[in-house]
Amino acid sequence: MAAHLTAAGFPPARVLVVWCPEWPVPPDPDAARAFERVVSLVEDLCPKVEVLWPGACAIAARGPARYFGGEEALAGKIIEAVTGGGFACQAGIADGLFAARLAAHAAAPGTATIAPSGQAREFLAPYPVSVLSSEEMAGLLRLDGAEMAELLPRLGIATLGEFARLPAAQAVNRFGTPGGMAHRLARGLDPRPLAARPPSADLSVSAEFDPPAPLAEPVVFAAKALAERMHAGLAARGLACVCVRVRVISEDGQEHARLWRHDGLLSALAVAERVRWQLAGWLPDTAAERRPGEPGHQDEVQPGGITLLSLIPDQVVRAHGRQLGLWGDAVVSDRVARAALRVQAMLGHGAVTRPVPAGGRGPAEQATPVPFGDARDPERPPDRPWPGRIPVPVPATVCQDPLPARVTDAAGAPVTVTGRARLSAPPARMSASGGPWLVITAWAGPWPVAERWWRPQAARRRARFQLVTEDGTAWLAAVQDGNWHIEARYD
Amino acid sequence: MTLTFIESVFDIVTVGAGISQARWLPGRVNCDGASPSDAPQPGYGALPVLSALGELLPGGLARGSVVAAGRWSLLCLALAAGASVAGAWCAVAGVPQLGVSAAVGVGLDPARMLLVADPGSAWPQVVASLLDGCELVLLRPPGHVPAQVRRRLEAVLRRCGGVLVVAGDWDGAQARLLVTRQEWSGIEAGHGRLRARRVLVVADGRGAAARPRTQWLWLPGPDGSVGLADQVVTEMQETG
Repeated sequence: MAAHLTAAGFPPARVLVVWCPEWPVPPDPDAARAFERVVSLVEDLCPKVEVLWPGACAIAARGPARYFGGEEALAGKIIEAVTGGGFACQAGIADGLFAARLAAHAAAPGTATIAPSGQAREFLAPYPVSVLSSEEMAGLLRLDGAEMAELLPRLGIATLGEFARLPAAQAVNRFGTPGGMAHRLARGLDPRPLAARPPSADLSVSAEFDPPAPLAEPVVFAAKALAERMHAGLAARGLACVCVRVRVISEDGQEHARLWRHDGLLSALAVAERVRWQLAGWLPDTAAERRPGEPGHQDEVQPGGITLLSLIPDQVVRAHGRQLGLWGDAVVSDRVARAALRVQAMLGHGAVTRPVPAGGRGPAEQATPVPFGDARDPERPPDRPWPGRIPVPVPATVCQDPLPARVTDAAGAPVTVTGRARLSAPPARMSASGGPWLVITAWAGPWPVAERWWRPQAARRRARFQLVTEDGTAWLAAVQDGNWHIEARYD
Repeated sequence: MTLTFIESVFDIVTVGAGISQARWLPGRVNCDGASPSDAPQPGYGALPVLSALGELLPGGLARGSVVAAGRWSLLCLALAAGASVAGAWCAVAGVPQLGVSAAVGVGLDPARMLLVADPGSAWPQVVASLLDGCELVLLRPPGHVPAQVRRRLEAVLRRCGGVLVVAGDWDGAQARLLVTRQEWSGIEAGHGRLRARRVLVVADGRGAAARPRTQWLWLPGPDGSVGLADQVVTEMQETG
C-alpha cells in the first residue's frame, strides 16, 4: 500500500478488497488450497496481492485503477476474472482497509461498491459500532473491539459517526490503545501512524532445510520458531509489522511468496498457521488426487521438498503494547505449546485438540474439539436452554458414530416406539453391535427428541432411553425409524 | 521413595457442591504464566487429588509415578480432576470416545486439557512429548505394553516429574485402583432416570501404599461430581 501517504491529515490510500462470502470460517487446509486459485486469478491482473485470510484479499487500487482506466473498470475486471474461475465474490473500494472491507460486505454479490475518495468518514458514519467487533472485522480489532461494541451503545453512541465526533483523547482514556485505533478508523484514517525511520534490512528471518523437507509439518514447525525470532527482533526495536511476506523455495528452484496481513496482532502460532495454508495452497494438483489412506496425501509439498523458508516483515509501524493471553481463556504456557506442536508435527494438525464446551442435546454434541492453535469457537452456543438435553449425570464414554444395537422385549420381538412416544413392550434384552445378549434390569424412557423439524433433510426424530444391563453397566440408547443405536455408555 | 505429604486445605465438599479449592504445591511450576525455571524437579512433591479420593491415595499422586486404574472409566477422569482444579494441564491420549462434559462434571477444566484421540503406533513418543508439557497424562494403551516401553516411559516420568494414569495393565505401577462393584440408583423398570452411581473402589500399590484400602464413592453423584458414600444407602432427594 502507498504507506507514505498516511501521515496525519492525509487520507489513506485507496484499497480494493475482494471478498468471497461463501468461504468457510474458520478456514481449513482445503479452503486455503482452493483460495490460492482465487488469489492467483487476482494476481494475474495486479501483481501485489495481500491475503487477509482465506476468503478475502486486498490490493492497492491506485496504480491498477490508472492502468485499467478507472476504479469501476478495475473492479469489473477483477470480479469478472474471479467469477470466471468459478468463485462467487464481491468487491469494495474505499480509503483504507477497514472502509474497503465494509464496502465489500455492503456490495451485492458479483458487484463492487465504490466509496467516494476522500469521504471515508461520511461513508463510515452510518455503520453501527458493532462492526468494530463483528466476525468479519476480526483481523483488525479482534477482542478489544468486543468490549467497545458492547459499551458504546450503553453510553449513547450507536454509530461510527457519533463515535468519530468524540474527542480522540476521550476514546483513548476510556478504552486505551484499541480505543485510539478504533477512533482513527471511525474517522477514516489508518489506525496506526507510521514509524518515521525506514526499516533496517535485517529484520527478515529464514531457515534452510538440508536435506529438503518433503512434508509440510516440519516446515510449519520451523515457521513457528522463525516467527518467534521475527517478533523478538521487531519488539526489540519497538516495531510491529503490518504485513509479513512468506517466501518458500523448493528444491527445483520454484519460489512461492505470499503477503499475509499481520497488523502486529498475530502470534507465532498464527503465523505458522498461515505458512501451513500457503503450503496447502501450493500443492501440485496431482498430490490432491491421491487416495486419503496413502502417506503423503495432503501433506507432501512440492516434489523434492522445501529448501528455504523465510519470513520478511513488510511495512513496519511503531508497536503499541499488547496484552498477552488474548487467545483462549487459559494462558497457554510455552511449555505446553511446545509439547502440543511437537505432537502435531508427528501426527498432523488435527491430532491434538482442545475441547470447547458447546451446546447441544445429544452426548456427542456437548463439546467441540478444536485443533491446538485454532480459535476456540464452539459450534453451537453453550449458554442456551437446549430443551431435550440429556440430564446430568452425563455419560463418560460417548460414541462419535452411534453403534447399531438390538433391543428386544420378553418375547424376542424388537421394541418399537410410535410417533406418539408409546412403547410397544418393555425392553428385556439388549445386544450392543453384535455383542452378547444382556438382560436389561432397569430402563427409563422414551424421551422423544425432534430436532430441526423445519428442514426436511436435517430433521431427526428419535427417542432416547437409559438402559441398565445385568452387569451393572448403564447405556444411553436411541431408536430412530425402528433402528436402535447406542449413543453412549455411562462408564 | 519418600513421599512429600500435601498440606491441602479443602473446603467442605458435599455431593452437590462444586469441587473446592486445592492449594497448589511447589515442585512443578505454576502453569499460568512463566515458569520460574524450566528445569523440572523430579520426584519432589505430589499432585493433589479430590478430597473424596483422599483416603484411597493418602499422599496424592506422587510425581514420577504411574497409577493403573483398570478399565477406562470415570475413575480415571476423577484421578486427574484434583490436579486440573489446582491448575495443571492434563492430556488424554488414546480415548477417542471421551465424554468431555462428564470430565467437566467431575472437575476437569476444559481450558487446560489436550486431547490426542489416536496416537497411532508411535504412541510412546507421543506420550513422552505430552509429558514434557503436561503434568498429568491419561493414557489408554492399545493393548499390552512391552516391558521396554514401560521402562522408557517410567524414565521419562522420573525426569520430568509428571504423573501417568493408565487405563489398563501396567506391571510395577506405584498405585492401582479398581472399581469392583457399581450400583446405579434412581432408575426402575420403566420410570425414574439414572441419578447417581455408588461404586466400590479398591486401591493398592507398592511400597507405602501396599495395604489395600476400599472406599465407597458416588461416581458420579447427582450433579456429576465425585463424593464419599456410606455403606448404608442414604435417601436420595428428588431434585426434579
